[in-house]
Amino acid sequence: MATTALEVQRAGGGTTHGDSGHGGSSHPPTSTGIDSKKLLMWWFLGSECVLFGSLIATFMIYRNRAQDLSVNLQGIEGSGLAVSSGPFPNQVLDQLYTAVSAGVLLFSSFTMVLAVASVGRGNIKAFRVWTLATAMLGAIFLAGQYFEYTEFFHEGLSIQQNIFGASFFTLTGVHGMHVFVGVIWLTMLSIVSFRGGISKKDHTNVEVAGLYWHFIDIVWIVLFTLVYLLPYRDGAESAEEHTEGAMRLVQSLPFF
Amino acid sequence: MATFAQPQTLVRPASSSSSESGLWSWLTTIDHKRIGILYGVSAIVFLFIGGLEAMLIRLQLARPENDLLSLDTYNSVFTMHGTTMIFLAVMPASTAWFNYLVPLQIGARDVAFPRLNALSFWLLLAGALILNLSFLAGAAPNAGWYGYAPLTEVLVGQTDTFNTGRNIEFWALGLQVLGISSLAASFNMIVTIFNLRAPGMTLMRMPIFTWATLITSILMVLAFPAITVALVLLQLDRFLGTHFYIPSQYVNGELTLTGGDPLLWQHLFWIFGHPEVYILILPAFGIVSEIIPVFSRKPLFGYAVMVYALAAIAFLGFGVWVHHMFTTGLGPTPTAIFAATTMLIAIPTGVKIFNWVGTMWGGQIRFSTPMLFAVGLVSQFTIGGISGVMHSSAPVDTQQNDSYFVVAHFHYVLFGGSIFALIAAVYFWFPKITGKMLDERLGKIHFWWTFLSFNAAFFPMHFLGLEGMPRRYASYGDGSGWWFWNVVVSIGSFALAASFVLLVYNIAKTLRSKERAPEDPWDAATLEWTTPSPPPVYNYKVIPTITNRDQFWADKYGTGQDHEEEADLEVRIGGMKIGSVDTEDENPEDQAATRRQNAQSGDSQSLGNIEEDEHIHMPNPSFYPLVVAIGLFLVAFGMIYSYPRLEIERLSLPVLSLFGLVVMLVGIAGWSLEPASDPEPDHDESVPLGTSSHA
Repeated sequence: MATTALEVQRAGGGTTHGDSGHGGSSHPPTSTGIDSKKLLMWWFLGSECVLFGSLIATFMIYRNRAQDLSVNLQGIEGSGLAVSSGPFPNQVLDQLYTAVSAGVLLFSSFTMVLAVASVGRGNIKAFRVWTLATAMLGAIFLAGQYFEYTEFFHEGLSIQQNIFGASFFTLTGVHGMHVFVGVIWLTMLSIVSFRGGISKKDHTNVEVAGLYWHFIDIVWIVLFTLVYLLPYRDGAESAEEHTEGAMRLVQSLPFF
Repeated sequence: MATFAQPQTLVRPASSSSSESGLWSWLTTIDHKRIGILYGVSAIVFLFIGGLEAMLIRLQLARPENDLLSLDTYNSVFTMHGTTMIFLAVMPASTAWFNYLVPLQIGARDVAFPRLNALSFWLLLAGALILNLSFLAGAAPNAGWYGYAPLTEVLVGQTDTFNTGRNIEFWALGLQVLGISSLAASFNMIVTIFNLRAPGMTLMRMPIFTWATLITSILMVLAFPAITVALVLLQLDRFLGTHFYIPSQYVNGELTLTGGDPLLWQHLFWIFGHPEVYILILPAFGIVSEIIPVFSRKPLFGYAVMVYALAAIAFLGFGVWVHHMFTTGLGPTPTAIFAATTMLIAIPTGVKIFNWVGTMWGGQIRFSTPMLFAVGLVSQFTIGGISGVMHSSAPVDTQQNDSYFVVAHFHYVLFGGSIFALIAAVYFWFPKITGKMLDERLGKIHFWWTFLSFNAAFFPMHFLGLEGMPRRYASYGDGSGWWFWNVVVSIGSFALAASFVLLVYNIAKTLRSKERAPEDPWDAATLEWTTPSPPPVYNYKVIPTITNRDQFWADKYGTGQDHEEEADLEVRIGGMKIGSVDTEDENPEDQAATRRQNAQSGDSQSLGNIEEDEHIHMPNPSFYPLVVAIGLFLVAFGMIYSYPRLEIERLSLPVLSLFGLVVMLVGIAGWSLEPASDPEPDHDESVPLGTSSHA
């Protein structure tokens, strides 16, 4: 039987199981030394990458399409078809507002790290403070998103209005739901800790929640860049813009 | 069932796996073997339902211009045939074997998350129920298993445009639930395989079926989110009036050109759909790679390369989806690139075929029923594989696209591949599961019956396709000249359906017989055969220590002998030596001596010995997985039947879904508060179960 050198080396060490690496951990030893729940979370996050990847791809395909259609196809007489109309992204998106709420969400990753660190040290009081702070910052982000959505509705951008609205609300909405789940999770953890259910040995449980939270933050960095920072083309405000817009469409054909 | 505090009472453990029976024990079971059996039985039931649908299709096509089925019914029947066979028959059958075998093969006592495992099964049943209840509602899915937009779409406020019934809701929500089930099962299998291997079982000592499970699970984890997103967007189109997949939609009461693109659906669907094809076939490859060595009495030829080939197929499988879209006009560059990546997949697949042949080469082959079906796969899958290579060429594909040639192709890979292997697995592992051998004589009749009727049913489809008969059509003209081969195909498929009745008869007959099978009837190589048949709840009294790839053969015959035999073994073709087997770096005599010593001294690490005061501590049964699954079922079903609704300001929510959500949350709460196993401070820490995770 062919055996590689690597295997022969590892065969001797195969019987010794590593611990999950945290002092006082009560979890059963595993073949990799990684706690099973943590490994599950890593693979779950891998799966989430494909989920957000598909949504982001959809958004990137459609981010300029409503504007381009409005510019190029307006005034098709007698077709019986109206053409996609605004509000378009440049009319509704507020970079500064969202930059602040993105900052809030990013800062919550910092408090999450402190929460994980304090439970590792066995400092449950500090853990409560930082976990609640993280959940609170997440809730502030969600409130920000709620007001942003409301503002957009008032300006006439609904999920049906045009394909920008459809892809914008879907992408940021799915992210918002993930933040919501995270807030609930962290709130539950702090409730359990108030009832005395969290001790140093729950380090891994908290760390797994932390992994999820950081992932959601990282996704928002990507979304903030692609949705808010990357420039959009303008849609047609009125009939005068047609010719100019048509030129822009030609220049941008690879994206169309 | 929960705790085995007294190992002395377990001298005859064969009976203890059935120590608790009755409906409640099955509803609350979290034993991976029972869940495996539940998966297997469900797969057989849905195989028959899917087969029934196939028979309706073949009755309809048995003569030209037949009006046995209405056009709408025909659409539903072929949609449900595909959906049922893929998601409810072949995938659950594969998952059944993952569940039953993987913990046994890696020397574990259960999977990493037993309750999550139960949830996976109940969600499978929930999804299957949603899909099939559609028949009772008279709204069976009708847009094909691929659900191409805009066949699945609606225009807001229009009652007669596109697909306005509930058909697509049943399909989309059924698939979403099945997706969650598959994802949960895959996470579980990946963690189990990485984390619960017995001491000494390095990755490259894992049985090849375990490798196939691992790679398939990774494929599922990375492929399913794409269809989740695709279906979410479809549901938004249908429920909320967005327009991801249709270029025009009613906006504010006006038909508006919106820029939505039906091709987006095809991309997202096939980014999932092509890996899905490998999700269906890789477990079959794993099964065959276990069976052929045993019946050739030789270790698997090129084990490492077989593992790399599995990984290569999975990796390349994500880069070929556009070959399903060659005729959509994406242009020469993507077409050429994806034609090339598709052709590349033939390399690792070819490697596997040759390695199976290499395993049999020079072996002492026994043609028992499992081996017949395994060799059946090698031959029949090759036919399907080669017609697949034909399709990878875009011009050829353009000719054959949407014709019966494609139908012939994927039935050769999915039936001649997957199902042949799954039947082989039934014959091979049946004695382990039940302690009884399936009738060999009936088995051989079954094989030849299946083999001949399979070819009668599907080979003529190649001719029909090349003559231009389009797939998915409910009828064909009198003067088309397609009648003769259609009759042959219909007769063949009825004979093929009958062959499954033979299999079920064989199973029923065997279960009634009193004759017991030996624990290792095939002289097999992997760990599961070291356990009693059926294995006890805890699988192993003592977790085995692994020193070899074919551990059980090494235990029975010693490694030294193996190496002498293998050193002599050279694979020659036409007098030219093309391969031989390396000898190990370590001194095999030392290893064998140590193992003999262990066996004599009753060392706890040797196989099959009981350490006197070890407590085997198994997790408790739980009904919360079932509660969560029922909750999710109600959520999905409420979205299909969306009345009555609860109106809160501008929100309008289906009451049934809200109720389902409450049930689900109650289930999750109960789940997380319930202790995974009885507290037993003395020994809880000492047993490397890895099953006490609260997930």
